[in-house]
Amino acid sequence: MTDLAIDLQGVGKTYRYFALENIRLQVPAGTIMGLIGPNGAGKSTTIRILMGLIHQERGEVRVLGHRMPAEQVAAKWDIGFASEDMRLYDSLTLAWHMNFIASIYPKWDAAYAQLLLKRFGLHAEQKIKGLSHGQRVKAVLLLILARRPKLLVLDEPTTGLDPVARHEVLRELTDVMADEDRSILFSSHNTQDVEQISDRITFIDRGRIIDSMDKEAYMDRWRRLRLEIPAGIEVPALPGVIGIKRSGRLAVAIANEFAPDLANAYETSGARVHAVENMTLEEIFVANVEHSREEVNS
Amino acid sequence: MNRSVVGALVLKDWRLQRPSILFSSAVGALSLGMSYFKGEVPFVLGGVWFFVSIIVLGCMLPVANVVNERKKQNLAFVMSLPVSAMQYTTSKVISTFGMFLIPWLALLAAALMVILGGHVIPHSIIPTVFVLEGFVLMGFCLIAGAAIAGENEAWPMTATLVCNSSYGVGFYLFGRIPEIQHDWASPAAIWSPIIQRLLIIEVAVVLLIIGLTFFIQSRKRDFV
Repeated sequence: MTDLAIDLQGVGKTYRYFALENIRLQVPAGTIMGLIGPNGAGKSTTIRILMGLIHQERGEVRVLGHRMPAEQVAAKWDIGFASEDMRLYDSLTLAWHMNFIASIYPKWDAAYAQLLLKRFGLHAEQKIKGLSHGQRVKAVLLLILARRPKLLVLDEPTTGLDPVARHEVLRELTDVMADEDRSILFSSHNTQDVEQISDRITFIDRGRIIDSMDKEAYMDRWRRLRLEIPAGIEVPALPGVIGIKRSGRLAVAIANEFAPDLANAYETSGARVHAVENMTLEEIFVANVEHSREEVNS
Repeated sequence: MNRSVVGALVLKDWRLQRPSILFSSAVGALSLGMSYFKGEVPFVLGGVWFFVSIIVLGCMLPVANVVNERKKQNLAFVMSLPVSAMQYTTSKVISTFGMFLIPWLALLAAALMVILGGHVIPHSIIPTVFVLEGFVLMGFCLIAGAAIAGENEAWPMTATLVCNSSYGVGFYLFGRIPEIQHDWASPAAIWSPIIQRLLIIEVAVVLLIIGLTFFIQSRKRDFV
């Protein structure tokens, strides 16, 4: 097996009102990659390209070592894919769906499927049309987890779930990673979910990858500095600071390449540093997207 | 060819559409039973209902088996399985055409048994039954092809509209052919050159539509 579960190089696709530009995305085997982006950023298009459902116009796509879309059949034997807009057959029961998937996948783990039924509080004999949204999402997850895939590709799986159901789904995904060879690509615009389970993150906006790296290292680079700038003092534009918002004497500087020297540099320029704060992934995401858009517009 | 998955998809479609097939087959069989009774009214009514049941099945199946799968967002689930777009198309062609052909053939066989077994309906009607059923098969193929290869619901809806409005005209024009009218008067079935030509054209059109469906699907770049 290759060291990369997913490898997209220079991938592009142009639509009338949207374009995916030069996407470079690598998911090492054994990691959980969170793909974060606002609505319409290109998350689903990227995921559909790597599943072979949409053909890229430019670039190379390899999933589990298979070229996509040409070798999608071979790749999909080892991929569990779920998307927010995926629906099971309303008129049939969950048990029928389980038997259907079991008839296709030789690796179907019936004991694990029964365990998931209990953990998710699902009843196999219930028809899909009788399930709530949360139960439907869990049913889809059961169907893909019990086939023991090497790679899980989940496009906004927690959208619309209540907090308890979200917690159950995220816990199950974390448990799945007990197998070190298994990888997950998890897209969401909910940064809390991604922050909770991912060990790598990728930001995408308006069809472009903004950043992609290890989550801890990435979050460690971002800081918010609360400053007081006396009248008549002009603070210089410091490297590693992407923006500064002033409100009278008070200011907030956002750093995306934070180093302890940065606070000293502000002090030297005449400003007082009141606090250096960590940022949540959501705050980083919003700041990053806004900065990226400003750069593109300028 | 990934036969096991294609087979599983075909069986899945059959399971989902079983009630519609059984219902239309039952209506078709009842209609044939009615035409077995003596008298012009049961014969005409039975014959009309017989064709109506096949036409309704031909319109309903592609919508239920293909369009609804897309509309109800089941397609993403199917395409997450180890199948390519062409294998999906193969499964849809086999399941949709198979689901139609089995009751279609059964009703054709039943119609022949009614005609040959009784003394009410003249045997000269047999070639007409073949041509008219072939005409319905052609229409079904057009609707099914449009449903499978079409990007949205408008394609099969347009095909259904075209077919349904052409059945009546087609049957009428066929009945106006002097050679056909002449042969109806005969006590035995006559496979005249015009009947043979019509049957060959129908088979050719059916094969052309199936080929076109695969061709259009193979050109698609975005599948879901």
